[in-house]
Amino acid sequence: MGRYISKRLFESVITLWLITLAVFFILRLGGGNPVEYMLPPEATQADIDKLTQAYGFDKPLFQQYLIFNAKLLRGDLGNALAWDKRPTLEVVWERVPATFQLACAAMSFAMVVGVGIGAVSASKPDSWFDRIGRTVAVVGQSMPVFWVGLLLILLFSVYLEWLPSAGGIDRLGWQGILMPALSLGFFLVASHMRIVRSTMLEVLESDYIKMVRAKGLPARLVIWKHAFKNASIPVFTLFFVNFAALISGAVVTETIFAWPGIGRLLVDSLILRDYPTTQTVICFAAGFIVFINILVDVMYAWLDPRIRVA
Amino acid sequence: MVARHLETELELPQPVAPQTWLSNLMQSVREALRGAPVLSLLFLAMALICAIFAPWIAPYGPVETHPADILAAPNLFSKHLLGADNQGRDILSRLIYGAQTSVKVGVLSVLLAASVGTAIGLLSGVFRGWTDRILMRITDMFLALPYLMVALTAVSLLGASIGNVILVIGLLRWMGFARVLRGEVLKLVEMDFVRLATVAGSSRYRIMLRHVLPNITNTLLVLITLEIGLAVIVEASLSFLGLGVPRPLPSWGSMLRDSQQYIYIAWWFPLIPGMAITLLVMSANLTGDWLRDRLDPTRRQL
Repeated sequence: MGRYISKRLFESVITLWLITLAVFFILRLGGGNPVEYMLPPEATQADIDKLTQAYGFDKPLFQQYLIFNAKLLRGDLGNALAWDKRPTLEVVWERVPATFQLACAAMSFAMVVGVGIGAVSASKPDSWFDRIGRTVAVVGQSMPVFWVGLLLILLFSVYLEWLPSAGGIDRLGWQGILMPALSLGFFLVASHMRIVRSTMLEVLESDYIKMVRAKGLPARLVIWKHAFKNASIPVFTLFFVNFAALISGAVVTETIFAWPGIGRLLVDSLILRDYPTTQTVICFAAGFIVFINILVDVMYAWLDPRIRVA
Repeated sequence: MVARHLETELELPQPVAPQTWLSNLMQSVREALRGAPVLSLLFLAMALICAIFAPWIAPYGPVETHPADILAAPNLFSKHLLGADNQGRDILSRLIYGAQTSVKVGVLSVLLAASVGTAIGLLSGVFRGWTDRILMRITDMFLALPYLMVALTAVSLLGASIGNVILVIGLLRWMGFARVLRGEVLKLVEMDFVRLATVAGSSRYRIMLRHVLPNITNTLLVLITLEIGLAVIVEASLSFLGLGVPRPLPSWGSMLRDSQQYIYIAWWFPLIPGMAITLLVMSANLTGDWLRDRLDPTRRQL
């Protein structure tokens, strides 16, 4: 087990390093001097030269990359251009709790509703409930996150006038998180529903379930006590697999609902041409995804010893 | 009995002969479309026709403004069937021109992703060893990137244009192809016909292109169809955030962006483009599911 974990950790360190390499080069895609993108168009040549030197963009690319790595190892990701010129890590770190709250709320919504509907669907295949559930899943997986958000605003803010359409949790309390979490969690509901339904149906066909049924156990117990437990394992994988998609969804959701998370920070930084902050947000999000992946692999290896050998 | 006997004796001209090829054709068409999601295929065809013939189908130009009709509601008997937007542009016309953007980005970016992914999957699976290890590490790295964040950043640095959107989506979404196809290739190279080809002296490139590639085309086709929906959504998200297809080029995503401010006074404005995106993505997904069931039964989902 220890050997497996250290192997996975080593691989992840390489992945992380490759990510910083990729991000470093992606942010130089524009070609030329990145400073020109960061300054307003009316900046003078003197301003450009000053900032170019301050950021070291006048040095060759390879040398810049070495400096970037050296700073990275010390945990220094540079200072922001906007956001009061504070260290980018600090700026990003402030926004993390909001995104975390939103992601957790969306995930719990998706888990409870998706898994519940999926399990009920599988217990009565081809019933009207199952048919409606399947249709909703197919439609739900095709709806863009931001359109779901707009539809929710249309329903709850415009038509029913129950909820305000924008604002963080500080200003609105628990009500503020409702619509963002629903719109972000919606496509996850669909995918959870599908996976739970299909694994449940598989499990219900297995010998041990036939055995329990033959024993004369009531259908409710067969489904919730015996089948559901085994069918819920793939849901946990999906839970983590969806984290990358969740972060992407958060970018749009946070923008629509003016939610002060890292997704909105990224969009705002791009608009302000604050390029160091952009770099830190992406590295942070990627690091988080890598961390979640290690967690899943270790959890799986712990659950299923066969994986450790492979 | 008697009647039939008489008929054969009369030797009536047989009218069956000219019909056979037609009924055979119908038969084979019906066979090919068995269980097909007809509505989805029709919608895909409609989107394609809209995209190709937009200038002839659309009642107005995509950027033509009608100041008198600003935010006109949808009305069957008015100039604007689906209403007009905040600048008095006909929503139906913009929808039809927007199909151009979606179809172009959806198809071309997925084709780019498929070519990159197939190349990597093939190289990994056929060469194995260090090639495989390095390529899979790179694939893992791309999988860990928050793709929408990277896409936003890359497009905003490269400059917003339809070509750049296609390039960025294509280069950020090939990992699925690489992973799945590598798995297929690893299974294929263990099979006897590939071993025989090796014994017969085929080079690894020849094996890759002549023996392995034709055997993964079914999976490839299924993956392409299933990825198109996602590419359409990513393009719409980029345009929605104002960093995708540049204005005033119509895109369903940027129409939704425009509608956001008018959501309190014009309910149809955010509704219609979103419906178009959802229908297109759903049609592509359902067609993909059907193709998977037809061509690649091992991957069938319940």
